[in-house]
Amino acid sequence: MNATRTNKVEALDIAAPDPKAVEAIGRALEAHYASLVQAPLPDKFVELLARLERDRASQTRGRRDALG
Amino acid sequence: MPSASFKDELLAEIRNLRAFAISLSGSVSLADDLVQESLLRAWSNSEKFQPGTSLRAWLFTILRNIYYSNYRKRSREVQDSGGLYARRLIVPGDQESHLDLEDFRQAMTKLPAEQREVLTLIGASGLSYEEAAVVCQVGIGTIKSRLSRARAKLVELLELDDASQPPVERKVRRAG
Repeated sequence: MNATRTNKVEALDIAAPDPKAVEAIGRALEAHYASLVQAPLPDKFVELLARLERDRASQTRGRRDALG
Repeated sequence: MPSASFKDELLAEIRNLRAFAISLSGSVSLADDLVQESLLRAWSNSEKFQPGTSLRAWLFTILRNIYYSNYRKRSREVQDSGGLYARRLIVPGDQESHLDLEDFRQAMTKLPAEQREVLTLIGASGLSYEEAAVVCQVGIGTIKSRLSRARAKLVELLELDDASQPPVERKVRRAG
């Protein structure tokens, strides 16, 4: 990239980066995100959904009983 | 009323939801509160979810709304994601060019939140431009522009631009 081109890109505010750089960023982003997705998950979320489902089931039973 | 399969679908999205929450807030404990609240809200509003659309995008929208309404201030005070970002979690073995992940994470924290979230949604969470636009409540043009700015800023922060010497190899290590 020569100096004239560089100036023009800067003037556009949003530069068009080197495709290799964009690719490297893309890979780093995926690796970073994968480490978050794979991080140990607290039990409380699974427990919360199980509790919500139990509550719903007992509510449904309660309504059926009330209707006779 | 949520069905049993809705619960299973939520279960399948928890890890992605939490990853997005950590990216957004920079804090694991805040992220966990956000995920908890989002799951509760999703459960009680399950009839508002349109089958056939992306559950992930719907959950991200809920979580993002909660974050910007209630948590954003707190997240600036609490940055406790350091433990998760331990180097042992770095995915090893890629023989192609790659950045030092710790450098990358530092650079990500320097992006404006609106750019970081778009980069995460499109580049990592697998959302389409259209879905990211719905999640962020802006037009697709704005999504594309934020994505370009985010990439350009990271190139600058990580000194990946060709204009400076020495070139890319300084930060991008190649095997062999």
